[in-house]
Order: sequence, then structure tokens, then C-alpha cells
Amino acid sequence: MALYTHILTQILITVVSVAGVFVLTGMTGMFSLGQAAFMAIGAYTSGILVTKLSVPIFLAWPAGVILAVAVGFIVGLPTVRLRRDYISLVTLGFGEAITALLNRATALTGGASGLTGIPKETTLTIALLSAVVVIILITFFKASKYGRQCIAVRSDELAAKAMGINVPKVKMIAFLISVAVTAYGGCLYAFYTAYVDPTLFGWKKSAEWVIMVFFGGVNSLTGSILSTFVLSGLPEVLRFLQNYRAIIYAVLVLLVINFKPSGLLGEWELTPANLKRIIKRAGQAKQPKEVR
Amino acid sequence: MQIVQYLINGIALGSVYALISTGFSVIFNVLKFSNFSHGALMTLSAFIGYFIAAANGWGLVPTILVAVVAGSLIALLGEFVAFRRILIRNTSPIYFFVSSITLGTLYEGLVVLKVGANFHNYPRFFGKPIKWAGIVISQSDLIILCISAVALIVLAFIIQKTRIGRALRSVSFDRDTASLMGINVTRTIQFAFIVSGALAGLAGVFLGINYTLYPSLGSLVVKGFIASVIGGLGSLPGAVIGAMLLGIVETGLISIVGSGYMPVFTFVIMLVFLLVRPRGIAGSNIQEKA
Repeated sequence: MALYTHILTQILITVVSVAGVFVLTGMTGMFSLGQAAFMAIGAYTSGILVTKLSVPIFLAWPAGVILAVAVGFIVGLPTVRLRRDYISLVTLGFGEAITALLNRATALTGGASGLTGIPKETTLTIALLSAVVVIILITFFKASKYGRQCIAVRSDELAAKAMGINVPKVKMIAFLISVAVTAYGGCLYAFYTAYVDPTLFGWKKSAEWVIMVFFGGVNSLTGSILSTFVLSGLPEVLRFLQNYRAIIYAVLVLLVINFKPSGLLGEWELTPANLKRIIKRAGQAKQPKEVR
Repeated sequence: MQIVQYLINGIALGSVYALISTGFSVIFNVLKFSNFSHGALMTLSAFIGYFIAAANGWGLVPTILVAVVAGSLIALLGEFVAFRRILIRNTSPIYFFVSSITLGTLYEGLVVLKVGANFHNYPRFFGKPIKWAGIVISQSDLIILCISAVALIVLAFIIQKTRIGRALRSVSFDRDTASLMGINVTRTIQFAFIVSGALAGLAGVFLGINYTLYPSLGSLVVKGFIASVIGGLGSLPGAVIGAMLLGIVETGLISIVGSGYMPVFTFVIMLVFLLVRPRGIAGSNIQEKA
């Protein structure tokens, strides 16, 4: 039972981070390969504030998120005006920079041996609650004016511009929201494992999240969450495949991209209206049989 | 004399970065997307060169040849597996990103599967450094510089003077029009991937010589990316100039701040460059195109 609680908590923390990536990649079509570095900022800031300065947690977590957003603003500033390739290249460089900084600033971060002694505060309940709240907020954001503008920018930036959408602003909003959510995921993570080290936050982690978003469906939050459960749950269940994890992910995603480019669920979302339609359709499918 | 020393070391370092950034730019030019599998491809081909050639006691040249051939073949295969269908269906360019990231994790996953987290070293290919008038040049630097220069000149010749090079330039400019002019677009794109893969193999071996061989060696590709951003995304001369500049600045900075903080400084340099002159040195197209 304890094992399942552990796995479930970890998956829920990943869900929070992937929900952040969804806003950026799924909705706006930008790729951040330094997203894990923002998670690191959240994790390390809150961790250091609590362990070294004994700041209460309810202040430390927001501080981590705010610092990450501030850094995200600086990183985003030159890139949101340019074509989308720049944000991936710049965030990739940013990720490397953060890893180097964490490795070097030994006095503050513990260097390569990691930051230890973080109190274990994140429980399954907190993780679940956080995931649910984040998902609800992002659902609202997707339906809002800015959310729809994001989707327009992803589909065709030039056309969006022509319709009077302030493209740099929309990109910046999406970027900062995703940074905030991911940094919050970092706080949850640090206070769950009680230990963080720089190797946890490389570009491969960011790439994994992007892959999860795309596997589930380009523009479907439901799909992203579903695929997070499947892709991060699979290796836990099939322990003997641990070494093949990266390869299995890659092959799965290549299959999806080649044969069903919109991802598992495409643009489908789990909404009350859609749910009703499914039930109705199921009912209709049964009826003719009964008549005969 | 100190400055000359830095310049020489910097250019030697920059020449490796130039191989990375041109290999990246060739693909960027043709397909207009950032190929994130490039770094992992460097690692994979460097390791293939190690296991087939260097570990069996072959010399430098066979190792390089094996790595270059391996890089080209893998890049060709990668194009077929990950990019062909996206290209044919003309789906959103976003998928190129995802495909390339996925391909990158696949390559690196294969390397990790074979070697674990272990470090490997190429055998010592080179003798003592050359000393002349107070300047010390290590033989590895000298040979790397020469081979890189030859490779870049050959690349420039192919792109500027040959038939396939002209096809490559026209496909880069406008794929549809090039196709109307009777150019075999698929073949040309395959050629671009072969060139990029060969450059990745060469760069991989040189990085392995300069540092050690380890599975995440490919993350050094960031330097190549930064160089191409500084030089102007997609411009080949810009990529070379940016790489040389980056190499020289890095060598100078390492003696002041140490190599540990280097990624932080290169990142700041890139950020400042993007704020001041986003088009890069060569001035490339920076806005999203229809």
C-alpha cells in the first residue's frame, strides 16, 4: 500500500508539472527545454529558505514560485518577439546554466551532492489537492480569452497577428503561467523526496514532459494528464523494463507522430457536455439491438 | 604573447563548436526547425567510433571515418523514421520539434543501454605539445583545427559550387517552388541529413578527444546552438563566426572565472546578444514566416 501511495504521489507531482508544460507546448506551441530548470528554482528556493533560514513553508513556496516567474520573465523577454525556435534554444542554454550554477554554488545548494534535510511535508492529499486545483485553473485559462488567443497563436502566428492578437504578450503570459505551475511542482517535489540534486533537472526531464503532452493529445489537457499517468506509471509497474524506459517512450511517441499526429485524444476534452454525448451515443448504439 | 595564446586556443575550441553549429544550421536551413537530436547523434556516433575503431587499436583517421559514416547513416535513418511522414503530410512544423526531441532521447537511451553511466576515453592519439616562441600548442588542438577547417571548406564548396549544393540552397529558400523546378526535394533533404550527420560524427569524436566519452556528452551541443544564435539562426557563415567568437570568449573567460560557471556566462552572453541584436551577426530571418 505504501508503495502505491508513493507511486501515486510522484505521478500527481508530475501531473502538476506536465499541466504547466501543457499551457506552453500544447496550447501555445512553444517548446521549453529548460522547464525542469524552473522546477529546480522552485525546489531549491523553497528548500533553502526552509532549511537554512527556517522560513515557514507557506511563505517559502510562494517565494520559490515568484523567483521562478521573475527569472522566467528575464529569459522570456528577448525570445517572445522572435520565432519559436529561439525559446527552445534559449531555455536549453538556461537549463545548462542553472545546472552549472547549482553544482557550483556549493555553500548554498550543497553542490553535486544535493540539498538535504528538507522536511517531508507533501502528502498524497496535498499532491492530489494541488493537482486538482492546478487542472481546474488551467481548464479555466484554456476557456478564457487568453487561452483562446494562445491556441490561435499556436495554429498560425501570422494569422493571429493579423486578427489583432498581441502575440508577444500572449506568448509571455503562457510562458510565465507554465513557469509558475512547474515551479510549484518543484516545491511539491522537494518537500516530498526531502532531497534534491542538480542531475534531476536536466533537459531530458523537460523533454520527457513535452513527450507526455504530445503523446496524450496536442490540445487536450485530459490527454496530457492521461498520458502522464500511463507513461510515468508504466515503468513503475514494469520494473524490469526500467533500463528501456527512454527507448520505449521514444518508440511510442514516434509511432504516435507517424500514424496519429494529433496524439491519443487529439483535441478531445473530458467536459460534462462531451461526457453526456458519449453516454448518449452508447445508448443509441444499444437501442437498435433491442429493437431487433 | 598571452593574448596570442588565448586566440589560438580559442580558435581551436571554436572550430569544434563551428562543426556543431554548421551541422545544426544545415538542417535548420532546409526544414526550418531546430534539430534537437543533433547532440545525441554526436554522442552516439562518437561511441560507435570508439567501439568499432578506437577500442580495437585503430588510429585517429579510421576512428573519424567510422564515426562520420555512422553519423550520416543514422541521420539518414532518423530522417526516414521521424521526419519523412511529417514532411509528406505537411503537418504543423511543431511536430518536427517533438520528433527531434524524441529522436534525441532515443539515441541517448541507446548509448546509456550499452555503456551505462560509465566514462570511456579515446586512446592517446597525439604526442607532445609544440612549443614555439613562448606559445604552446597541443597537437590535438592543431590537428582538430586543421581537420575542422578542411571539413568546413569542403562544406562551403559543396554548397556553393556543386549541383546538389545548388539544389540544397533552392530547397532551403522555397521547397514548393524548388519541387516545381524539377528538383527532387526528398533526395535533397536526405542529402542535408547526411551532411549534418557527418558533421555530427566529426564533432562527436573531437569532443570525445577534448573531454571524455560519456552518455550526456551531447549536451555540449548547447554551445553549437548558442553559436548559431549569436551568428544568426540558419546562416552558415554566421554559425562559423559565432562559434569562433564563442570559443575565443570562453577561453578568455575560463582563465578568469573557471570552467564550472562557464555555462552561466555563455547563457548570459546569448541573452544579451538576443536583446541587442536578435538577428545575429549575419542577420537572419527571425520572425515566424507564413
